[in-house]
Amino acid sequence: MLKKRLVAVIVVKDGRAVQSFGYRRYLPLGRPEILASNLDRWGCDEILVLCIDRGRQGLGPDIGLLKRLASMRLSTPLIYGGGVMTAEQAALVVHHGADRVCIDFALHQDDVQPIREMAVRLGAQALIGVFPLARLGTGLQWLDHRNGVSRAFSRENIALFDQGVISEAMIIDWSHEGCAGAFDIQLVTRFPMHNVPLIAFGGISEPSQAAVLLSLPQVSAVAVGNFLNYTELAAQRFKQQLPDLLLRPTTYSRYV
Amino acid sequence: MASSDITEFRACSRCLYTTAHPLGLVIDEEGICSGCRVHEEKDSLDWNERWMRLESIVKPYRSQSGRNYDCVVPVTGGGDSYYVLHLVKNLLKLNPLLVTNNKYFNTPLGVRNLANLRTRFDCDILVQNINPDSVRKIIRSTLRKFGSIYWPCLAGQTAFPVQTAVRYEVPLVIWGAHQGLEQVGMFSHAHEVQMTRRYRRDHDLMGYEADNLLSTFDSLTEGDIWQYRYPDDHDLKSIGVTGIYLGNYVRWDPKAQHEQMIRDYAYQSAGFSRTFDTYDFVDCFNYMNLHDQLKLYKHGYSKVTDHACREIRHGRLTRDHGLALVLQHEQKSAEYTGMFCDWLGVQPGALQFLMDNHRNRSFWRETAPRQWEFSGPTVNGTLQLSGVGTQGKSSDRCVFKKNSALDTRENAKYITIGKGYP
Repeated sequence: MLKKRLVAVIVVKDGRAVQSFGYRRYLPLGRPEILASNLDRWGCDEILVLCIDRGRQGLGPDIGLLKRLASMRLSTPLIYGGGVMTAEQAALVVHHGADRVCIDFALHQDDVQPIREMAVRLGAQALIGVFPLARLGTGLQWLDHRNGVSRAFSRENIALFDQGVISEAMIIDWSHEGCAGAFDIQLVTRFPMHNVPLIAFGGISEPSQAAVLLSLPQVSAVAVGNFLNYTELAAQRFKQQLPDLLLRPTTYSRYV
Repeated sequence: MASSDITEFRACSRCLYTTAHPLGLVIDEEGICSGCRVHEEKDSLDWNERWMRLESIVKPYRSQSGRNYDCVVPVTGGGDSYYVLHLVKNLLKLNPLLVTNNKYFNTPLGVRNLANLRTRFDCDILVQNINPDSVRKIIRSTLRKFGSIYWPCLAGQTAFPVQTAVRYEVPLVIWGAHQGLEQVGMFSHAHEVQMTRRYRRDHDLMGYEADNLLSTFDSLTEGDIWQYRYPDDHDLKSIGVTGIYLGNYVRWDPKAQHEQMIRDYAYQSAGFSRTFDTYDFVDCFNYMNLHDQLKLYKHGYSKVTDHACREIRHGRLTRDHGLALVLQHEQKSAEYTGMFCDWLGVQPGALQFLMDNHRNRSFWRETAPRQWEFSGPTVNGTLQLSGVGTQGKSSDRCVFKKNSALDTRENAKYITIGKGYP
């Protein structure tokens, strides 16, 4: 990718978009498809819809939501995450309009064969691995938020990236999620897989933070969630304060 | 997600809202809703510091030459307009341009309150009168499509101030409280949320922008809807339009504020059959009547629940007393229905048929043709079972005074154009 990206994140819980704070507190926002339509018009580079309860409750991907998103005729590339455990589910998500798929709980399984099958069916470019991380001493702890247990990376996970099964990793600073200016940059610098493009998310509210992150060669994108909901033209304002070379220029829609 | 998708919903143990609330509601592990949690901030924030922050926010918008307005302030003859203007004009010392959208369902009391407001605060005002034939056509369409008689009122009152900001190059628009923050805790006060096109479409307009109303299967045309369009992003950017909410910087308490305005500026209030609050929405014949009845049909609760929740959170009502008030008011018949039928040109039976089509089956059961039984949260046990420690005596501060009536004439009717008060 020549350009780096601003990814707008819509967190969905019980079918509704919410603001999420530290994976434990939520405030209602509205209809995910209307948020997506707005972010599309604002010219975000990618939209990530993350359904946080689908995997936990074993519900599979939210196809109804994907259909509603498709009805909005978005032109921005769409990433879907939530409840995708098998290659069939991943293919169904793409069939219903997503361009890429986030893999979260499937990464915690001992058997990573389903992820390999997804890559065969959709291509590695379509797969993003999601890693909610926190720092512990000099290492990183990876949270399985189905049970609240954290652990280190396994050899199998590292192999998925080394072998090109997954194209990008999304690092979530889960404990700082929703806190202004709080993203821990060391989660990026200490990430053990060095040649993997990274998407940084969780507590990124300020363009100055994003500029520092985007200046790191391993960071391909910054993702912003709650903070795009407080002001009009929030995404354009965010982008405008970043050097032009890093991101696609801002756009302002016109009726005529 | 529409309320119609909801088959199971939970109630807050502190107030009377449930997760069926159309704005969305999140209940935490202690059983308390997001609205009650955000309301707690009202007792912990440093409001002096918040006010100073507001002063610094508005400072750059003051007209240096004095040849333009400092801000645009949307007003009506009801609601919180008096208090907003008191803050803007008297305390912030700004020179506002007032704007109001004619909803055509105006009460004489609303026309009187608006005329009194203009006189007392001595401000310029712009009134938008959209072609009433178009308004009627739109209401027929929105009533049929998604059960709303109020879409043009809401679309007009949220678009016209922003259109005016663009046309007059007055970038600052000042609103009162943010409904989503106040009711369901959509944002913290600290987020300092501003007016956005997204919120307007999602919540104020029930998901429908003006252009979404156009369809090959309907008779609405471009000429009917164009005045309801929100300015485009390019115009918002070029003028730098910013819509702020005073509720982020001032401890918002509509009851106390209205009583201050009655004392200081002769605001007048009136009673309604469908709620105990006498201060809000006295400018409209339909808001607290037909519109409120449709809200009960679609969402299983009505405005009296909003009023009770607000009073419970302010500590003036106990939860049990609030529930009793809701039960007392929510099934009362809407008044002035005949007037609306005459204005719209429909028969009462046809109106009821259209309204019945929007009854949410999660809350209503058709026991016989055109016979409906309510099974919403006030009667199915959801609210009764969820309250914890809610008994006790309500404060004697929960008294709403009424010092006028919507219409004192023998034959009440809409004042479609009302410039002043005799």
